[in-house]
Amino acid sequence: MAVYTDVLCPFCGCICDDIVVEVGEDGKITKVKGACAIGRSKIMGHDRMESPAIREDGELRDCSYDEAIKRAAEILADARRPLLYGWSSTVCETDRAGVELAVEIGAIIDNTASVCHGPSILAIQDVGLPSCTLGQIRNRADIVIYWGSNPVFAHPNHMKRYSYLSKGRFTPGGKKDRKMVVVDVRETKSAKLADLFVKVRPGGDFLVFSALRAILRGHEDVVPDEVAGVEKKDLLSLAEMIKNANFIITFFGMGVTHSGARHNNIANAIEFTRAAHLHTKATIMPMRGHYNVNGFNQVCTWLLGYPFSIDLSQGYPWYNPGETGAVDVLVHGECDAALIISSDPASHFPADAVRHLARIPVIQIDPYPNPTTEFADVVIPSAICGVEAEGSVYRMDSVPLRVRKIVDSKFMADEEIIRRILEEVRAIKEKEGE
Amino acid sequence: MRQIVFKLRDGALRSGAAEVPVDVSPLTPDKLFGEGEDEIKSTKVWWGNRQENVERIFEVSVSGDASGAEEVKVVFEGELRKVKRIGYEMSAGEIVAEGSVGMHCGARMRGGRITVNGSADCWAGCEMHGGTLIIEGDAGDNLCACYRGETTGMTGGTVVVKGNAGECIAQYMAGGEITVRGNADMLAGLDMKGGKIVIEGDAVMPGANMSGGEIIVKGKVIDMMPSFKYEETVTIDGEEYKKYRGDFAIGEKKAKGTLLIRS
Amino acid sequence: MAELLIKNGVVFDPINGVKGEKMDICIRDGKIVESLHDEHGARVIDASGCVVMPGGVDAHAHIAGGKVNAGRLLRPEDGRRGLEPKRGVCKPCTGYSVPNTWATGYRYAKMGYTFVMEPAMPPLTARHTHEELVDTPIIDKAALPLIDNNWMTLQYVRDENYEMLSAYVAWMIRATRGYGIKIVNPGGTEAWGFAKNCGLDDPVPHWDVTPADIIRALAHANERYEMPHSIHVHGNMLGHPGNYETTLRTFDVVKGISASMQRQTMHTTHIQFFCYGGTSWKDFESKADEIAKYVNENEHITIDLGSIILGDTTTMTADGPMEYTLYRLTGRKWTNHDVELETGAGIVPFLYSSRNPVHSVQWTIGLELALLIKNPWKVVLSTDHPNAGPFIGYPILISMLMSKKRRDEVMKEVHPAVFDRSSLASIDRELDFHEIAIITRASAAKILGLHNHGKGHLGVGADADVAIYGISHEESDAGAVQRAFLNAKYTIKCGEIVVKDGEIVATPEGRTFYVEPECEESLMNEVMKDIERLFKEYYTVSLSNYPVQDVYTPHPYVIKAPMSG
Repeated sequence: MAVYTDVLCPFCGCICDDIVVEVGEDGKITKVKGACAIGRSKIMGHDRMESPAIREDGELRDCSYDEAIKRAAEILADARRPLLYGWSSTVCETDRAGVELAVEIGAIIDNTASVCHGPSILAIQDVGLPSCTLGQIRNRADIVIYWGSNPVFAHPNHMKRYSYLSKGRFTPGGKKDRKMVVVDVRETKSAKLADLFVKVRPGGDFLVFSALRAILRGHEDVVPDEVAGVEKKDLLSLAEMIKNANFIITFFGMGVTHSGARHNNIANAIEFTRAAHLHTKATIMPMRGHYNVNGFNQVCTWLLGYPFSIDLSQGYPWYNPGETGAVDVLVHGECDAALIISSDPASHFPADAVRHLARIPVIQIDPYPNPTTEFADVVIPSAICGVEAEGSVYRMDSVPLRVRKIVDSKFMADEEIIRRILEEVRAIKEKEGE
Repeated sequence: MRQIVFKLRDGALRSGAAEVPVDVSPLTPDKLFGEGEDEIKSTKVWWGNRQENVERIFEVSVSGDASGAEEVKVVFEGELRKVKRIGYEMSAGEIVAEGSVGMHCGARMRGGRITVNGSADCWAGCEMHGGTLIIEGDAGDNLCACYRGETTGMTGGTVVVKGNAGECIAQYMAGGEITVRGNADMLAGLDMKGGKIVIEGDAVMPGANMSGGEIIVKGKVIDMMPSFKYEETVTIDGEEYKKYRGDFAIGEKKAKGTLLIRS
Repeated sequence: MAELLIKNGVVFDPINGVKGEKMDICIRDGKIVESLHDEHGARVIDASGCVVMPGGVDAHAHIAGGKVNAGRLLRPEDGRRGLEPKRGVCKPCTGYSVPNTWATGYRYAKMGYTFVMEPAMPPLTARHTHEELVDTPIIDKAALPLIDNNWMTLQYVRDENYEMLSAYVAWMIRATRGYGIKIVNPGGTEAWGFAKNCGLDDPVPHWDVTPADIIRALAHANERYEMPHSIHVHGNMLGHPGNYETTLRTFDVVKGISASMQRQTMHTTHIQFFCYGGTSWKDFESKADEIAKYVNENEHITIDLGSIILGDTTTMTADGPMEYTLYRLTGRKWTNHDVELETGAGIVPFLYSSRNPVHSVQWTIGLELALLIKNPWKVVLSTDHPNAGPFIGYPILISMLMSKKRRDEVMKEVHPAVFDRSSLASIDRELDFHEIAIITRASAAKILGLHNHGKGHLGVGADADVAIYGISHEESDAGAVQRAFLNAKYTIKCGEIVVKDGEIVATPEGRTFYVEPECEESLMNEVMKDIERLFKEYYTVSLSNYPVQDVYTPHPYVIKAPMSG
């Protein structure tokens, strides 16, 4: 039996890196300690896609990696508006190869951010992001605000490792030295733990942020008695808490990014943080979902100048979420082929988008079968990053880490699959050029 | 006077089950006034990730002569919803689109006139600096706003939308005038610095972060911003309006926007 | 590898005392050689009528890492200002002040530069910096880790435990694969964790040390090893009116410390931002003359300019409080990213406007310094890219330093405050090609200690990094100078032609240089106990996941730095 310590968890944007994994004589993982329940099941693994396959007459037929990769390359080389989507539950090395593939074939490349924290990125591009790494919060934060996010459910270890429940240099008493505030449209499990819960009417966050900004800038006189279901006196007491704090952090989640004013909610949340910074240290951070959703955004930004939803059809990157996002081009029926990697749009995209996806040639790369497999034309099983393959990942606070390979696998790594498709595409293009 | 008609060929944009958009930014009076018929037909346009001769996608007919862009009228016909960047960066002449058009119509235009006899998809009149844009139907989101990351949107020109307008119209607007005959969706005039917007129907959260300019709402305001200050009631063209100043969320010194709401 | 012969060029190789001589350069296997084996089989470049120099060396440009990428992400509008579609061997380019990594490599190579120092690597995010450096084509590079606001550093300085500090510094440089010690607003960046700042002699909040203590202790730690470079210092009070006095006192902090190598004991960076007189922006004036006087009279200090390029750019520094001040001035976008236990970062877009009196005076200061400091070996050309302007503005600066006429023309276009708040109008000096070769490659290589490792000169055994500029050594027209330095006729990197007639023709991967200070094992074991405790109690990553792994430096060049004798 082998024991691996300080293993990194390839589940959520927290990337806990103190997991203990035990591997039996047969090379199978037998025990996972220190991870949350979701992380544990992620590392333990479950039913896999067993073989590469190509759809023929409506049925998937098993084939070799070579055949599947060749077919994938033919589809992509032929397409006039291909989409390369996913990229968040894989490592940065894969994402780099993906960008090269997108450049080569003039594709749209996009990751799952466009359906989760894409709005947050748009907001940052409007106003910036006063933020920090999670350790600053561990060591300094005396007010922790979860706004439209429910860590108990979505990021189970977040409070313990990084925020409310953790202990640090200036917060040796842990939660005794902090106050937790939850703002949401309903009383979530996280809200039940909070010192203060503020209930906002659905879609009303934008108004509440503006009211708080006016108060923090000394203009409480203009604010009406009630704002989006919140009484003015509650807003005033929250503002007072903020003014008396040493360090505040606002963690926001999909409850704010995907309701009401969407990305403008986040821009306003950031503006609220800027107003709070007139009084104290104020920071804000998105609760990123997939463990490496941020990593793709980082890679794309350094290689192409933009973080996601990039259209390379004219040879240069054109960035315009709303036009160039995966959902946009699918709902508009624009793209004529798609490569989906480590993601399941069939479960997460709007119905119109899925309908179009089902009509065009789809290549799927994933360790696991999922509803997207139901209509994929080429499926290529891959090794699980962080368990069977190593590589760079970026935590929700942009701390870069390297996930490890713990066990051997018969499956090809994502990066190799993409690089081999790229080689095949280049070979096809060279032939066409002759 | 020269007239150039581009009629989209039926099914020309089909690729498998998809309809791939075409980018017609090279087809403006500025770029075509001196070109011969053959040159116009072989103008390259991006269709997806490859460039094609315009003739492959549009039936092209040319009549008359012009000595400058201002003497050229370009007409687009056919199903134009997947035709993007009509009149992009144009500075003179006229474009008429006979039907609803794709994204970025009239974006970054500096002069001339565009008439859309239908609706216009998102980013129409984006970063517009001058000229006239008339949309007979509805306008999508980000009308007369700016591209990602910019902090100045429309700076000049005149835009009329006869139907409704989408979200975040005129974001970071600094000059010019926009009239929406119908309703404007969420956050009209967001971050507005100057210029004027008239919304004849209803508006949702207009004027957030305004530091200048004027928004007039003749219909209802849904979700009035809580950071605006009521100042007085004024009379414009015989109608009474409540006048607000804002946005105090950006601080008193900068809050120089005017929001007028019909009582 | 085939041989290469560069014939008939007028060569400027200051390190080897070659001052505009017509001579041939022979290249084999990526190195400069005495003579060729087979002159007829060699590829020949006729450099008649051209100026030939070693490849450019940039001692200070923010080109890679978390902060730079946050700047790119913050500014898609800047991205659109530098769009170039993929073409030939080149991938697509984006960005003006914050170019993508591909554009960074290509644009440096086009200017004849072959080495760039990324000067601010937060240790916790070092992997990110290295990932971007690997994806920056053609040029060689290195990075300086920030080690001045780290809690461990502060603790050892407070306890006056300099032995342990030196071991900690050695561990940090190795763990991050860094090149030396970077200091940015010592103490102030830690204070910024609670939105505070501090001056050179103020106690750092919660720590019983002053920034001066930190600088002095780190200089001592650096000199315990045969480090190729000295401490690299961005001091306190950057960008504040009246800060020149702090700057002069900062210079004095390390006076008397002896260097372990033949070099300065402190490199003070983007000094333009530290030469300000006055008490507010209203009576703001240049004190470049005072700073130049000190540098002229003392041998322990070198500087790089941080000279302004008028126009829009993106400021970014680990100096969080300074960026906050800038944000409050502009009201524009502001990103801040504090890094636990170590450092921070701030980013604010900024327009240096020729109509603004302060910006116009700032613009004169970098030029004044380059012209008032008599010994060019103490000076490196820089814009603190992208803080004072993007690196592609270097040719503009070169043309101005070489032409009084050009300077006078621009002075008429900027705000007239430049005539009474700066001495630039009264300076007649014009640099020649030899002096330009010093401040754009030779001095940078010597100050960084890279001349011992094949950079910044064309002596036998040096890396065959050569820039050939299509300009006569007698040319004095500023426009011609600017054009020539923007697009080299040829750039040769390690013997390979990468630029021909101003176009990229090959995109090899560059190397990453890093230093390994060699500390005694017993001392290192001792310091590891403290480091282990630090990680357990305060960091949010495990110690074993912290050091940068081999894969992040696929083309390493390792410099060993033994304990100094």
